[in-house]
Amino acid sequence: MTATSRAHWWATLALSGVGGLLLLGFLGPRQALPVQSRPASDENILRVAYSQELQIDPHRRSFPIPVQNLILLGLWEPLIECDPETGQPQPAAAESWEWAPDRRTLTLKLRPDGRWSNGDRVTAHDFVRGWRRLLQQSMELAAVLYPLKNAEAFNLGRLKDPAEIGVEAVDDLTLRLRLAGVRSTLVTELADPLLAPLHASTEAVLQDCRYRRQPDQLVTNGAFALERSTAEGFRLRPSGHFRDRTSLRLAGVEFVKVDGWRMGRLLLAAGRVDLLVPAFGDEKTLPTSRRVVSTSEMELTVTALDLNVTRGPLQDVRVRRALSLALDREAPTRLPEQERMTPAFAWVPDMPGRPGLKLLREDAAEARRLLAEAGYPGGRGFPVLYLPISVRWRSYPYFQAWTDRWYHELGIRTYVGYARDESRQERKKSGDYDIYFTGLQATVPDAGDMLSTFALPGMFSGSHWEDDEVKRLLLAADRVTGAERLALLEEAERRVMDAVPTIPTMFERRRTFFAEEVQGWYADPLGRQSLRRLSLRQPVSNVDRITL
Amino acid sequence: MSERNPWFVYWRDWRFWAALWVLGSAILLGVPAWDARSWLAGSPQASFRQTHLGTWPVETVWWFFAPLVLWLQSRLTLLDRRWPWALALHVLAAVLIAGLFIGLDAVRLLIANHLPWSFLPTIIHDLRTAGRWSYLPLLIYSLVMAALYAVSFYREWRAGQQLTGELRLANARLETRLVRASLDALKMQLHPHFLFNTLNSITSLIRNHRTQEAEDVVAGLGELLRRALDHRQEAMATLESELEFLRRYFDIERIRFQDRLQIEYDVQPDCVLALVPCLLLQPLAENAMKHGISRDPEARLLRISARCERSQLVLTVYNDGPPLPRDELIEGPGIGVQNTRARLHMLYGDEARFELRDQPPRGVLARVTLPFNTTPVP
Repeated sequence: MTATSRAHWWATLALSGVGGLLLLGFLGPRQALPVQSRPASDENILRVAYSQELQIDPHRRSFPIPVQNLILLGLWEPLIECDPETGQPQPAAAESWEWAPDRRTLTLKLRPDGRWSNGDRVTAHDFVRGWRRLLQQSMELAAVLYPLKNAEAFNLGRLKDPAEIGVEAVDDLTLRLRLAGVRSTLVTELADPLLAPLHASTEAVLQDCRYRRQPDQLVTNGAFALERSTAEGFRLRPSGHFRDRTSLRLAGVEFVKVDGWRMGRLLLAAGRVDLLVPAFGDEKTLPTSRRVVSTSEMELTVTALDLNVTRGPLQDVRVRRALSLALDREAPTRLPEQERMTPAFAWVPDMPGRPGLKLLREDAAEARRLLAEAGYPGGRGFPVLYLPISVRWRSYPYFQAWTDRWYHELGIRTYVGYARDESRQERKKSGDYDIYFTGLQATVPDAGDMLSTFALPGMFSGSHWEDDEVKRLLLAADRVTGAERLALLEEAERRVMDAVPTIPTMFERRRTFFAEEVQGWYADPLGRQSLRRLSLRQPVSNVDRITL
Repeated sequence: MSERNPWFVYWRDWRFWAALWVLGSAILLGVPAWDARSWLAGSPQASFRQTHLGTWPVETVWWFFAPLVLWLQSRLTLLDRRWPWALALHVLAAVLIAGLFIGLDAVRLLIANHLPWSFLPTIIHDLRTAGRWSYLPLLIYSLVMAALYAVSFYREWRAGQQLTGELRLANARLETRLVRASLDALKMQLHPHFLFNTLNSITSLIRNHRTQEAEDVVAGLGELLRRALDHRQEAMATLESELEFLRRYFDIERIRFQDRLQIEYDVQPDCVLALVPCLLLQPLAENAMKHGISRDPEARLLRISARCERSQLVLTVYNDGPPLPRDELIEGPGIGVQNTRARLHMLYGDEARFELRDQPPRGVLARVTLPFNTTPVP
């Protein structure tokens, strides 16, 4: 036998050995895997998985994902919280509030038993301090305070004296807000985790991230205090001075860092975490026998295609209606992992106290008729539409489905151009596009909040569309409440959808997986569930999927 | 590149590369290990996903596969009849390496997320459904292997070219030696021919009791043989040397023919250093004597001439004897003339010409035209 032939045999042997080991990994059992028992140190500790970076600085929050809200609202308590079922404001750090007759001044009374985690009393000055700090952040964050007098000017640097901002501590327990204009949703907006107070000692601790080494230095006013902060996550313990500490049923909360939602799903299956939000896929396919409950709730978000009404045929409302009528909203949502998407036939989704309307429909024949009436029968003579898309959305199946339908039904071709985010933003600023994919998330459970985007000057929207009547209706709605307000908002929404400056495409449902021992989880369209309502109990069987 | 350059020596030494690989491996393992020392020591504050072990691109593992890849490529040839084996093993190796990358990715996720090892197959499966199985290693392996084989084939082609050149040179040398051997054989044909004629002359002298002349002829013959043997190893000689040889030859023949033989030389001085094949003129002179002078009692003149004409040397041997015999015209010339033609063709190819013709009103002219050279032809 020659050396070369031996080389073949040795190579075959070695590669086969490695291949066998690999096969063990690739073809090993993927079901009925063992569930880890809860360690004694985690007894009565709720373990929550998160994959995106969490920010425990309330004034620097990046995006209001539910887990981010969970940790912020666990550590900090704003003035107000919203009832998840009605959307109505409920007392939190403030025990009451009162509007002035002109509805331009709001006075809030703080709870006298409000305490920081170090035992100090929570005062109105702490809120003033915190909000002034928030107004020094970027516009995306600070805009939540823009309804206050001079807040926008201060944030944009046009005003230097913070005392001129419309927030003042009348005394230790009285906070007075002066508004730039009437805004009926203001009280609800105060439930935003961004509007947390700030203890006098906390800013420096947040600034230099001292809390990582000395978590007890982070003084918070929420039900929980920071116990540990590492790269692997955060651990909260009940705050010893929280006014309602006796009602807390959790011994603590562990936020466990995971590499993506798939890993979070496996950690839930393995028994290492108890809660995963948002969750994707089917909980019945988890590889263990752990009993996991799946819930879903409508998010207050809408994704849409803004039609640039200043360009070519899109100036014609018949063309815009044709595009809306011919849009395929259903097919993309039936694709794998897109089941959480819901076709949108209005701008405002279902929300507490206000079911969504169905103002749009799909009718390809009517779309063709309108297009022909506009002078483009069969799409003849219609220019190619340009739709800039972020390169991050390459895997999104929607764009292909939507533009395919337009081509097949109307003969309208669309160039879906992938671009970097900066380049896409530049195009938006310069108006160099026909269609712009966008999304909107409500900060309060109120239709007026989502519709208020149409009250902004056209330059701030992707459609560049403005309508004085819509602005008037929204302004009128801000001055009233209840059914009267809802009627005005509906009229405004109908008017917007009739003009079709934008085509709502999808609403989103948020899914949550949690272990059966987690009790008290509830639906909140804003994803602001409170840790105070949750508890753990011993696992029991026969818990099925529930939809809230 | 000079082989005395020490770097060149290292470059060619496998131990240099082995040391480099070990050093690189030590760095690639040591740096992440040092970076992850807290995690490896079990510190509760340390996080695997923040160490280099968890964050370094998995492509660095190619370094550890490099020897395997190079070994496989060097041992598995695609040119012999086992190439299907080689191809199959390469495909297997590529798939395994791609699988290892996926496995490493999964192991890192497993460790970073503190999952038990039993979840590894599930993670691998999840990575596939998430589209995170990277098939890039397959492409990289194929490209690297293609490049290595291309280099290997190029080297083999170059070595083949070099071998072909050497073989050609060896063939040329062999051919030269064969030609030289043929010339030697031809010369060996000339020597007996001349020798027998001369011995016949000596015999004739002895029979006629011309002892003194016979002794002179024997002495001259001895001198001729000595010179011929001296030049035995050389194919070429100067014209001057050839003429000197002819003079010795004619000295012998002059004894045979007494005063009847008249030898004339018409040689341009600048031709005497020209190189001509050894013993080129002697057979022609001998033919002139045999078929010309000796056949006609009135014939007596034999003229040797040498001229340079346009970088060619023209040599003639003329005798005023009778015309060429008819049988020679029909059946071809004798062995001396044949040998001369053959030698000229071997040495000069088409560049040399030989003609033998009558020269009316009487006489025969032998004419040789060959390249004028004063330095030996390589």
